[in-house]
Amino acid sequence: MVAGLREFALRSRDGSGKPVLDESNGEELMHVQPSVAVALGNRPVESPGTLYITSRKLIWLSDVDMAKGYAVDFLSISLHAVSRDPEAYSSPCIYAQIEVGEDEDDDDSDTESTEVLDLSKIREMRLVPSDSTQLETMFDVFCECAELNPEPVEEEEEEEESGHNWVFSADQMDVRGGDEDAEWQISQSPTSVIGHSNGDEGLAQPMLELQINDQRFEDAEEMVHESETKDHH
Amino acid sequence: MLFFSYFKDLVGQEVTVELKNDLAIRGTLHSVDQYLNIKLENTKVVDQDKYPHMLSVRNCFIRGSVVRYVQLPKDGVDVDLLHDAARREARGG
Repeated sequence: MVAGLREFALRSRDGSGKPVLDESNGEELMHVQPSVAVALGNRPVESPGTLYITSRKLIWLSDVDMAKGYAVDFLSISLHAVSRDPEAYSSPCIYAQIEVGEDEDDDDSDTESTEVLDLSKIREMRLVPSDSTQLETMFDVFCECAELNPEPVEEEEEEEESGHNWVFSADQMDVRGGDEDAEWQISQSPTSVIGHSNGDEGLAQPMLELQINDQRFEDAEEMVHESETKDHH
Repeated sequence: MLFFSYFKDLVGQEVTVELKNDLAIRGTLHSVDQYLNIKLENTKVVDQDKYPHMLSVRNCFIRGSVVRYVQLPKDGVDVDLLHDAARREARGG
């Protein structure tokens, strides 16, 4: 996996112009959006082109220059949004921020249009469809694909997992739960870890029910039946 | 899963998400998933001078792995409840 934006020009040779995907690793084409221009960083917009959204990455391929194209993995896309504010950008577009490595200074000078472009330093990208009614669809596909690409889970060691040995109080003997901890582990369900909530209740719900057996709280009618001589206010 | 459940309860409230790149975005919490990816609505960038490019987008999707902090409404947090739940989760594995 490559971090950040990079060049991409691998097109299939069947004449369709589609990019070559890593199908052996399960990469699928999710959406094709023709007539999309791309603006990298502060650079002027490049067009015409076609946006290919795969289950792993975004690919933009120029429609006129067969050697020009860009790709960025969803793992590198920090956020994306629909931008319609004309003060932010002249055309409605999908705005995306790209996470770059923290090697050198965060300088914007690398994105000057006249200098050699270092794609791996690009931190912002705008995708401008000629049909702006497509923006919501594009945003939704971006969301879907981002959800398909969570952070890879590293192998956790079974032992020596320091996070599981927290100590909460001085008189705590065994964190891992002797009998005294039984009361804490009633609910193992991942969806109801907070106050046994089923997810629909707010956090303000009390965890304990109060049992009130005070006679003063009995129904008034019963009190009248029991003793008519007593004075009640 | 604790914070997934916790954030689900906060949907509809205004939060400020601070990213690891220092960008802070305020918005209404629309939804959250198990990876703590966050969708915000009616977003506004906090400190617009620093990040002029993201002026008021309507909705945004923030990758969970780039979030540094989620700032919560003061009234939206029952600290004791959260404390107890966190303790339970740590003990339970």
